[in-house]
Amino acid sequence: MTKNSHDSDVAFIQALAELLRENDLTELEVKREYGEADRLNVRVARGGQVVTQFAAAPAPAPAPAAHAPAAPAAAPAPSSGGEDDPAKHPGAVTSPMVGTAYLSPEPGAAAFVKVGDKVAEGDTVLIVEAMKTMNQIPAPRAGTVKRILVEDGSPVEYGAPLMILE
Amino acid sequence: MSGDWPHGYGYLPLGEVTSTLDEARARVGEMSGPTWITATHQTAARGRRGRPWSNPAGNFAGTLVLPNLTDPASAALRSFTTALALDEALTTLTGRPEAFALKWPNDVLLNGSKLAGILLESLTERGHLTGLVIGIGVNLASAPDPGALEPGALAPVSLMGETGLSVTPDDFLEALAPAFARWEAQLRQYGFAPIRTAWLARAARIGETVTARLPGDEITGTFRTVDEAGHLVLSTPKGERAIAAGDVFF
Repeated sequence: MTKNSHDSDVAFIQALAELLRENDLTELEVKREYGEADRLNVRVARGGQVVTQFAAAPAPAPAPAAHAPAAPAAAPAPSSGGEDDPAKHPGAVTSPMVGTAYLSPEPGAAAFVKVGDKVAEGDTVLIVEAMKTMNQIPAPRAGTVKRILVEDGSPVEYGAPLMILE
Repeated sequence: MSGDWPHGYGYLPLGEVTSTLDEARARVGEMSGPTWITATHQTAARGRRGRPWSNPAGNFAGTLVLPNLTDPASAALRSFTTALALDEALTTLTGRPEAFALKWPNDVLLNGSKLAGILLESLTERGHLTGLVIGIGVNLASAPDPGALEPGALAPVSLMGETGLSVTPDDFLEALAPAFARWEAQLRQYGFAPIRTAWLARAARIGETVTARLPGDEITGTFRTVDEAGHLVLSTPKGERAIAAGDVFF
């Protein structure tokens, strides 16, 4: 999606209208923010009931605490909003998608990292699985693992903080 | 490869390798576009979360490398396009669409049993997603020993065993590659909506009770649909649950 293209906006709106029709939806709300942290929020509803809601932004963006949980299935993302909110930590590694977090490459194997480990930029620090797709989550920068915020096998939301590197 | 091999797709046939997934990772730097890698024999093929994937001779073992993908959530939708491509290739080769069905997110069933396995892994570079590798195994000639199955898992079957039809791995790829290219083009052009519709039309057990097994959790409910993000939607006594990752049992 280009920022200033009228044509792509029209195509986008047509695609949304098509989605409304095809999925029998009554409401569709899209909020796009441009800037340093491009962000796309989508909310759809059918007969007044919110069906699904998701937010997408280029990784690694800080978790938007104001957003509602992306899916009813998963545990709520921590969003206390206080100073200790790990999502706001500059060294937070956040989840690029809704899924299941794994701390080791396979059951019984050693964890990718533990607290106190030094990591280089690009080192795999954990995996988030969605739809049988294993997403190796790389360290966005070099540092030391300060906190691991998820348990092996736990559900994670989009943008949820997974780990703190300092 | 001849026939209607898809434009823009590379092909790299190999002999004995540890796994085509490993080869894909090692060679992605040499690839300018989507590339199929096959092997005559894999010595260390693997399935999801370290599960072994047995790969007897005569079965199809291949990996498709999709470079130039940058959004993890939409990359994962290739689970559905790959399953649809396998289903289409199998239908073309056998002429028996009714024998095949799909199980969320990417299992292909033959007469209700497991015929194929698909595993997707992201490729990253300097902290960003750069592509996807899709490992595909299809039991064309023989089914692996079901001895190590988890309780409740579907028994593996082979195309030969169930239908008596002999399809070589090369013939299979000639049907699979163009089918995948069509579904991939549709996803890129129109988004997930038409893929979702096509997948749901081929899905097994819609409206029936299924169980999704998650790490440390099990959710049983009526299989309603797959939502716009590709998540499995079950209606349970506690309400609708959308599931992003898990194993489905019938």
